[in-house]
Amino acid sequence: MLRFLAVRVLRAALTIALVVTFAFVVLRLSGDPAQIIMGADAPPEAVDAFRTAWGLDRPVWEQYFHYFGAILSGDLGRSMRDGRDAIVLVLERIPATLALTLPALAVKLALGIPAGVYAALHRNSLADRMVMVVAVAGFTVPSFVLGLLLVLVFAVQFGWLPSGGQESWKHAILPVVTLGFGGAAVLARFTRSAMLEVLGQPYIRTASAKGVPWRAVVTGHALPNAAIPTVTIIGFMVGSLIAGAVVVESVFSWPGVGRLLVVAVANRDLAVVQCILLLVAATMVMANLVVDLLYGLLDPRLRNQPRAAGGL
Amino acid sequence: MPEAPLPVAVAAPPLRRQAGPPPMVLFGLVWLSLMLVVALLADLISPYAYTALDLRNRLSPPIGFGGTWLHPLGTDELGRDVLARLIYSIRTSLLIAFGATIIGALVGTSLGFLAAHFRGLVEQAVLALVDFSASLPFLILALSVLAFFGNSMVLLICLLGLHAWERYARIARGLALSAGAQGYAAAVRQLGASPWRIYGRHVLPNIASTLIVSMTLAFPEIILLESGLSFLGLGVQPPETSLGSMVGYGREYLTRAPWILLAPAITIVVTTLSVSLIGDWLRDRLDPTLR
Repeated sequence: MLRFLAVRVLRAALTIALVVTFAFVVLRLSGDPAQIIMGADAPPEAVDAFRTAWGLDRPVWEQYFHYFGAILSGDLGRSMRDGRDAIVLVLERIPATLALTLPALAVKLALGIPAGVYAALHRNSLADRMVMVVAVAGFTVPSFVLGLLLVLVFAVQFGWLPSGGQESWKHAILPVVTLGFGGAAVLARFTRSAMLEVLGQPYIRTASAKGVPWRAVVTGHALPNAAIPTVTIIGFMVGSLIAGAVVVESVFSWPGVGRLLVVAVANRDLAVVQCILLLVAATMVMANLVVDLLYGLLDPRLRNQPRAAGGL
Repeated sequence: MPEAPLPVAVAAPPLRRQAGPPPMVLFGLVWLSLMLVVALLADLISPYAYTALDLRNRLSPPIGFGGTWLHPLGTDELGRDVLARLIYSIRTSLLIAFGATIIGALVGTSLGFLAAHFRGLVEQAVLALVDFSASLPFLILALSVLAFFGNSMVLLICLLGLHAWERYARIARGLALSAGAQGYAAAVRQLGASPWRIYGRHVLPNIASTLIVSMTLAFPEIILLESGLSFLGLGVQPPETSLGSMVGYGREYLTRAPWILLAPAITIVVTTLSVSLIGDWLRDRLDPTLR
C-alpha cells in the first residue's frame, strides 16, 4: 500500500511539473515574458527590475528553475488590467464559481447515479430507454444552447426566473440546472454501462444461484464493483469544480473564475490566464490523486499491483 | 403426445444482428451526408453571400412565423440571410471538425506507435504527455493557448486537433504492442520489412477499426468544443462565421429574434447527435474491446 501511495504521489507531482513547464514554454514562445506579465505600458525600469527579479537575463535553464521557484512561492505575476496580484484576483472569484458548481455537482450525483443504476437494473424497460434518450441529449446539447433555451423559456416567456447576474439565490437556479443536467446525463450513461458490465459477470450469477436475495446481490456485489469506474468520472467532475463552468458562467453573466478566464483570454491578460491554468491543473491532479487512492480502497487487487492500474 | 418434436424456431441459431443500420443510425447517416453536401456545395446552394446585407428586411422572421420565401430562415439585425450564414457556418464548423479529428488521429497514432516501437525513454515521455493531457480540461488548455498566441483559423484547427490525441495514443500503443506479440508482425519483420512498412501496411490496417470508432467519438466533441469557443467569441473570428459564433451573436437578439440562435443551435445538436449515434453503432459492430 505504501508503494502504491508513493507511485501515485510521484505521478501527481510529475504532472504538476509538466503543467508548469508547459506554461513556461508557452510564455517564452509568445514573446518577452517581462513585457507580457508587466503589461505593455509598464515603465522600462519596472520591466528591468522584473527581469532581474525573475532572472530573465540569465541562461534559459536557470530561468526555468527560477520560474519554478517563483511559482512555488506563490508569485504568479500581476494582472495587466488593474495591476493587482493575479492570484488574489482569481481567489476572489472562487466562491462565486463554487456557488454554482457545488450545487450542480450535488444535482449530478443525486440524479445521475440513481438513474444509471435503475436503468441498468431494468434494462430495455421504458424507464431505461427514457434515461438513455435523456442521457444522449445531455451529451449532444451544448451547455450554452441548453442555457439559452432555459433563459428563453423561463426568463423570457414566463418571466419566472432572472436571465443573468448574481443578486439572489434565484439567479443561481438556471445556471445550476444547466450545469447539473449535462453532468447528470454523462454520469447516468456511465453508471449504467458500468452496472451492466458488472451484472454480466459470473460472480453475480453465482451469488444469485446461492440464493442470496436479489437486493443483497445488487447492494453487496454489483454496486461496489460498479463504483470503481464511476469514481473516475466523479473525480473528474470534482476536479473541474473550479473551471467547469466557463461557458455557463458566460451565458448567465455569473462573475466566477470562468468568466474571469474568458475576459482574461480576450484581453490577453496572461498572468491571470497562467494563474487559472495552474490552479485548475493543481485541482485536477489532486482530484485524480484522491481517485487513485479511493481505487486502492475500493479494489484490493489494485493495491498489490500498482503497475497494472497505473499503466495504460 | 408429450414428446412432440421441438418447434424449428428453438433449434434455429440465435437471431443475428440486423443487416442494415437501425432507423436512428440511418437518420444520422442521412443527416451527416446532407451536412457534407451543404458544406461542399456551399457556394452553389447558398441563396446569398453570407456577408450580404438586406437593410430593408432586417430581423425578418422565418417562414411559418410571418416571414417570406425571400429569406426562408429569416434575417439578422443587419439583414443578413440566416440560411446563407447557416450554410457557410456548417462549412466552417465541419472543416474545423474534420481537420482537427484527422490531426488528432495522426498525431496520437504516430506517438502511440513510436512509444510501442522504441519503448524505454520514448515510451515514458509519451506516457508523461498523456498524463499531462488527461490532467487538464481541454477547454482550459485551449483557452490558455489562444490567450498566449492570439487567434487564427490554422491555430484553431491545430489546437482542436490536440483534443483526444492521448486516446489515440493509448489505443495505438496498446494495440501495436499486442500486434508485435502476434505472429504476423514478427513474420514481416523477419522478412526484412522496414518499421514504416510494418506499422503502415500491417499493424495499422489491423487496428484501423478501433481508431475509426475513436474518431467518431472525438468528432462531435470537437464540434462542441469549437462551437463553445466560438460562442465565447474566442474561436472563429468575424467576418468568418461558425455554428457557435452564430449562436453567440444570436444571443443578443434572444428576445426579439430567437430564430437567429435557434437555426444554428438545432444544427449543432442534430449533427452531434447523428455522429454519436453512428459512432455508438459502429462501436457495437466493429469493436468489442471498447465500451
